[in-house]
Amino acid sequence: MGLIKIVGGLLIILSTSLIGFCYGNRYSKRMNNLIYMEQCLKILETEIVYGAVPLPEALSNVYKKGNKKVSFVFEDIKNHLLEDKTGDIYQSFKSVAGTLNEKLDFTKEDVEIFLSLGRVLGSSDRQDQEKNFKLILNQIAILEKEAKLERDKNEKMYKNLGILAGIAIVIILL
Amino acid sequence: MDEKEIGIYENVLEYISLELSQILKKIPDTYKSNVEEIRLRNNAPLSIYIKGSDFFITEEGIPTKNKDKARLVNGKEIIKTFQLISNYSLYAFEEEIRNGFITLKGGHRVGIGGKVLYGNNGIETIKNISSLNIRIAREKIGVSDGVIKYIVAFPRTIHNTLIISPPQCGKTTILRDIIRNLSNGLPIFGGAGLKVGVIDERSEIAGMYNGIPQHDIGIRTDVLDGCNKRDGTTMLLRAMSPEVIAMDEIGSISDVEAIHESLKAGVKVIATVHGNTLEDILSRRSLSILIKDKIFKRYIFLDNSKGVGTVKDIIEGDSFTSIKK
Repeated sequence: MGLIKIVGGLLIILSTSLIGFCYGNRYSKRMNNLIYMEQCLKILETEIVYGAVPLPEALSNVYKKGNKKVSFVFEDIKNHLLEDKTGDIYQSFKSVAGTLNEKLDFTKEDVEIFLSLGRVLGSSDRQDQEKNFKLILNQIAILEKEAKLERDKNEKMYKNLGILAGIAIVIILL
Repeated sequence: MDEKEIGIYENVLEYISLELSQILKKIPDTYKSNVEEIRLRNNAPLSIYIKGSDFFITEEGIPTKNKDKARLVNGKEIIKTFQLISNYSLYAFEEEIRNGFITLKGGHRVGIGGKVLYGNNGIETIKNISSLNIRIAREKIGVSDGVIKYIVAFPRTIHNTLIISPPQCGKTTILRDIIRNLSNGLPIFGGAGLKVGVIDERSEIAGMYNGIPQHDIGIRTDVLDGCNKRDGTTMLLRAMSPEVIAMDEIGSISDVEAIHESLKAGVKVIATVHGNTLEDILSRRSLSILIKDKIFKRYIFLDNSKGVGTVKDIIEGDSFTSIKK
């Protein structure tokens, strides 16, 4: 009887800590992904502003050169663009909004800024594209800072909360 | 033959916005294989040009002469088509847009109409695109087989040749085919070919796309794409050691200088020019110098009396008499 109680208690603590851990982990994942996204956008900027590479090829290159954890969205955008044929880049960007939110833990605000790139990408000359990239990279840098603050604030808290909640439940049940 | 022509037409439709291309796909095959131009104009009927006359296209894809039945093109469709043509990448086509056209894969050309913006260095870009003219390139391999014997000289060289023709009569087509013939080698020369340097200022001869010529221009041909004739001649002479230099649409003083430059280096020239008769050309000051100096030994006149690229006459350049048999 005692053994079952101990094992049961441990299981509860384990699972709640896991929940806390996952919850807290989202913050560092978001921050890391924002950093990878920034790198990808910088690659894209180089492709466009200095290489004048046509967009589908540029997106493909970003996928190849960037960190695969994030750069796969650019390949998705490219595929959508080539299949869709409606001639609207913004739609192709929109098609990955869900993925950004679910797989990369981006907040609504992050996604919004990324999508704003879709509105201007490819629709002007190189000089103008460079300006747009600067603007968006600036915004992403701000988001990164914010993500770091939030991570520092929340990550530990959620992790501790998970363990403590588990212990609390066990104590009540005992 | 027809199958191939229809294929070319359908490839071009890939670049047109979905709503319009679905309509254009429905036109009868006999039209498809002959379409020369597809015209999109803001709030105007969708139309195609075939052998010099135009047809409007209805919603059901039926060519008609009645403009009231035609499908109107809207601004959104033009923008979408333009996006597809520029591969979603205006920035990659800055130079082309400044020149007023974009070359597509397959050598087809799209002319652009809209609001032209000027910057510090001349034309900056075109915005508010209002019309697009998609010219379908149909290379006609073998059209120059009949003229080539008038051009060649022995041993293994050619006469300086000027091709004179009104627009839409196949100037560039015949020039391209002459280049192909010379470059691939001729039976008259025992199969030997000439090294040909092409200065393709308007990207019409070779139709370069991503560094690959979209038309057959022969195996001994080097192309300077988008280069002006003066600079191109110097560049070719410096390092490419051409035996023949080919250029399209000469006219300005600097083009004439380019031709003189090649002659000095002992390189033969083939060029084309807009015009109907020799008098037309003589009336243009820069070109009249070339003719008075008897630089060209052969003048080929084209018209479209028996279809595009009909050779009307061939004139010998020293005596100005016809040598066409």
